[in-house]
Amino acid sequence: MNPAQGERAALVFLVLAAPLPWLVDSGTLVHFGIMVFQAATLGQAWNILGGMGGQFSFGHAAFFGAGAYTTAILQLRFGVDAWSGFFAAILAGAVVALVIGLASFRFGLRGSYFALVTLAFAEVLRILANTLEITGAGVGLLLPLAPGLERLQFADRRGYYLLALFLCAASLLVARAVAGSRLGARLVAVRENEEAASALGVDPFAVKMRAILLSGAMAASVGAFYVQYFLYLDPHIAFGPQVSVEALLGPIVGGPGTVAGPLAGAFLLQLLGEASRALAGGATGANLVVYGIVLILIVRFLPGGLAGLARARAERAGAGS
Amino acid sequence: MTTGDRSVREGWRRRALLATAASGAGLLAAPAVLRAQPAAVKIGLLHPVTGFLAFSGQQCREGALLAIESINATGGIRALGGAKLEPVLGDAQSKPEIGAAEVEKMNESGVAAIVGAYSSAISLATTQSAARYGIPHIVDVGVSDQIVGRGLTNTFRFCPGYGVITEIAIANLVALNEAAGKPARSVMIVHEESLFGTGTAQLLQKELPTRGFEVLEVVKHANPTRDFTNIVLKMKSLDPDLVIPANYYNEYVLLARTMRQQGVRPKGIYSVLGGAASSFKFVAEFPDDAAYIMDCNHWYDPRKPAALELRRKVEAKGLYYTYEVFLAHEAVRLLADALERAGSANRERIVEALATSDWDGHFLPYGPTRFVNGQNQGARPLNTQVLGRNIEVIFPREFATAQPVFPMPRA
Repeated sequence: MNPAQGERAALVFLVLAAPLPWLVDSGTLVHFGIMVFQAATLGQAWNILGGMGGQFSFGHAAFFGAGAYTTAILQLRFGVDAWSGFFAAILAGAVVALVIGLASFRFGLRGSYFALVTLAFAEVLRILANTLEITGAGVGLLLPLAPGLERLQFADRRGYYLLALFLCAASLLVARAVAGSRLGARLVAVRENEEAASALGVDPFAVKMRAILLSGAMAASVGAFYVQYFLYLDPHIAFGPQVSVEALLGPIVGGPGTVAGPLAGAFLLQLLGEASRALAGGATGANLVVYGIVLILIVRFLPGGLAGLARARAERAGAGS
Repeated sequence: MTTGDRSVREGWRRRALLATAASGAGLLAAPAVLRAQPAAVKIGLLHPVTGFLAFSGQQCREGALLAIESINATGGIRALGGAKLEPVLGDAQSKPEIGAAEVEKMNESGVAAIVGAYSSAISLATTQSAARYGIPHIVDVGVSDQIVGRGLTNTFRFCPGYGVITEIAIANLVALNEAAGKPARSVMIVHEESLFGTGTAQLLQKELPTRGFEVLEVVKHANPTRDFTNIVLKMKSLDPDLVIPANYYNEYVLLARTMRQQGVRPKGIYSVLGGAASSFKFVAEFPDDAAYIMDCNHWYDPRKPAALELRRKVEAKGLYYTYEVFLAHEAVRLLADALERAGSANRERIVEALATSDWDGHFLPYGPTRFVNGQNQGARPLNTQVLGRNIEVIFPREFATAQPVFPMPRA
């Protein structure tokens, strides 16, 4: 399967998944779908910066949390409606991205240094959220439960399913557009060899800034979605390291730098999470052991992720014919 | 008619009578046999048994399972013909979204009600998910007051919330201090950074000065903290009469140990929902560090034999009798009582039964249950103190098993 086929497969998957909750009456399935789309969108955000651009971030929780807190604070403290809050959250993600981008790319931070800076930013934001009164400090923020389209809350969970699916599809289309654009080509050039790209007239700083802005805004939309769905937020949920890990795990398993990778990875990981729980039965924590072992095997034997596997199969088939 | 004839006829009659009686008894007996095996009532037990809340989550699960075991052993739910309770176990993995996913699965497996979910953040997510399906949800621990009173008619909390606990803790501290001749005037608060530590510290900082205490210092620390040397050195220089820790188990133990190592001995250590202060684990492992520590926390009525019986059972299993165990245990029994009242495993009927429940068969110091907006109105904490390698109730008087030792002796 080549990348274009992968993209088409991902889009077809989303189109086919859309009517599923109306065909199968299962709350478990709907929740599973929501979790997959949410993880896939967050993964796609990471993928644009980390996969395509090679700038590995360990702190995507900073964007996720900024988005989540922005919409929650605007709704609770300033009476702003949920839709405006949602768009403001996306903007807030971009603003945090601007700050992190300027603070790191401006000074030429790369590789592990960039990863550490992003990690530090997320931690600083977590501590701030834990201290400031406006974020509710350690107590967190709770949105009132009041279903209604104007409040972006759905009495029927399928509404959330469609919203998550829409965000996932939008992120996929954005990633596809980036991959096929000049920005995408420059990102790959910067990833492969920054000096060489620079010598060819690519401005690495401008390219990386664009990528992080896009990535931050996308990750923030996931944070805003999380708040609308669960209606509760605390510093650990918003800025905790598990969010950053979830953001990078999906694309790495699915195939970093590919458009379909984050969705494939998110689907596989969520499925693995569910399957390992079913397999482990009643033994406490055994599911996490199974999950960990399968993850190690994937990383060990599929360094290019699922996309790498698909590519290798296609090449073998090509060589065979 | 010969005698023989008569005897034959009588014999026939007797047989007929016996046969009729037997078949009648058979008819009566048949439903009794059916009634002896009514469908089990599925109960969802949803706790964070893995992840960073694993210890507390597992304790909750143990308590809830013990309750189900004893209910089943003593005849199940009588109003449902002796129906047994069947636990459906769920693991929230210490994450709200996984807790919500578990509620979906429990709904599909047909649970009549859910008991869980230990942490406030997880309980907020699970009660909301359960509300979509009208599943009655008893919150066993979760102290955040946001859990109840947000319009979810399916949500019930048996134990006290955070607001009530701190209010009572402050009132009892004042009473305790006055009874001892006001030995404590200055206070230092050491708290952890999340919901309960920060919230407690804020309330204490606001309330204590109005009650005649001087708050010398408020120190916040991260979770986890592995070294309290600096905080204790500061404590040494400030020399407060009273130290109020508000943190989780590990940090609490470490703080108490560091204080002892540095020779810091205030007149009292008084905590609110202290992570270790009323934990038998702490008392067993570090009796010298735990000695004389006072706490205002979830506790059982020490006068009730059932509470002590459960303690024996729990300790026989090699577990510690922590508040998670007895709160979850009693939450399940509250549900069983509601099933008896409802006479049905129908979710709506159980919700109704809980809302109007006036159950007093429990061993918590709450009195008969009365739920307003899902919160049990009589729920309250007790004050405990570690005395002679045991945890004794020192306040209020009607529950007290020992006199408070305050100020604590300077060893």
